[in-house]
Amino acid sequence: MSFMHRSFAAFALVALAGCWGNYSESPPVHLQQNMDLQERGEAQERNQFFEDGRVMRTPPTGTVAVGFLKDDDHLWRGMDDNGKLAATLPEGMTLDAELLARGEDRYNIYCAPCHGEQGRGDGLANRRVADGFAQAPANFHDEQYQPVPLGYLFKVGSEGYGVMKGYSAQITDPKDRWAIAAWIRVLQVSHGAKKADVQKQLAQAGNAPTKPAPAKNGAAK
Amino acid sequence: MPAIFPRWTNTLPVVLGLIAPILGAGAIFTVWYWFSPQYTDVGYQPAQPVPYSHKLHAGEMGMDCRYCHNTVEYAAVAAIPPTQTCMNCHDGLVRTTNPGGPYEGRIANLKKSWETGEAVEWVRVHMLPDYAYFNHSPHVAAGVGCASCHGRVDQMVVVSQDQPLSMGWCLDCHRNPKPNLRPLDQVTNMNWDTDAENYDPDRDPERKRKVNPPVHCSGCHR
Repeated sequence: MSFMHRSFAAFALVALAGCWGNYSESPPVHLQQNMDLQERGEAQERNQFFEDGRVMRTPPTGTVAVGFLKDDDHLWRGMDDNGKLAATLPEGMTLDAELLARGEDRYNIYCAPCHGEQGRGDGLANRRVADGFAQAPANFHDEQYQPVPLGYLFKVGSEGYGVMKGYSAQITDPKDRWAIAAWIRVLQVSHGAKKADVQKQLAQAGNAPTKPAPAKNGAAK
Repeated sequence: MPAIFPRWTNTLPVVLGLIAPILGAGAIFTVWYWFSPQYTDVGYQPAQPVPYSHKLHAGEMGMDCRYCHNTVEYAAVAAIPPTQTCMNCHDGLVRTTNPGGPYEGRIANLKKSWETGEAVEWVRVHMLPDYAYFNHSPHVAAGVGCASCHGRVDQMVVVSQDQPLSMGWCLDCHRNPKPNLRPLDQVTNMNWDTDAENYDPDRDPERKRKVNPPVHCSGCHR
């Protein structure tokens, strides 16, 4: 073999081996597998021990884990003592800037893709599809949503309504869902605000500068 | 007197002086380059049972990472979403203008999973060895961006591994986390440009405590 042949062979080997960052469908090669894959169940892994092959188990029907009894109708279902949709936040939650900030943050993650950041039902997911979704997402500024109690926003967000599925599995903490309901109310109140409301607010803020802005009290209406 | 060294030993200086160093350097380069996780791990891009495009969902539609990977802020694992999360939109809400076209083929496995209750068998891309106990939540809480470890997922049609995820790579950041920190509300922002923003975590009033990642063994190997 001449020198030319040998260098060509070396070059071909390198070319076959490829470079850093080349895409490949075959899994990474790890020569030393010692304890890389241990026989223990990790989240969302497969496990032959169970018939359905899932490590993560569904609790048996009719059982409740300690500390997870959802017996507070107000907090978990948005219903008050009289069995009506609650008009206020559940006990232990206060309407403050922190709650609304949390609500805005969560709303923009979970609701805005369809309902839009301003709540007009014009989210990017909806607009991306030609002609929009089969059923338009609710515009929170429509007449029919104006007088809804806070508990209604919570209940629909948690359990779904019509074609919208419930979000209690994605937003696991009910307090986050209440925060979102409060933020939707903020969107509604702020979009329906009139000049007189603003003047009233300014006057009140002047009288009592330490209190939160009245527009945010709309959530307790 | 016969020669002590045979004639071929005349080539020894050349072999030892020139060829051996070249071969040695070649062996070192081969191990350094082709045994590195940069080569063995980066770029792993398995075919998935559903051709889900992060570029479309996270990029073009700007959906937040946490819409699907919702546990990332409070759990060790950033959950792969259940079929129900997909079905929030794909159970009839998303219409196709072209019935029987490619869209329906793409979501066929999703529909099957929804109807039978069997899981969609997504292929895991980022695999840490089981003796490294990684937890997403403190990293998110410290303001390490998703893109710092996972790359620009919003530009990936098929997800691939972007970083080596090797121990040396982990320690690089644990020893000097500052270049990879960003404001706490920008963690999921794929467009955040660390170089352009000139962000100093020490002067961020939103941060309640200093980031102090462990560099001792049991920090990760418990």
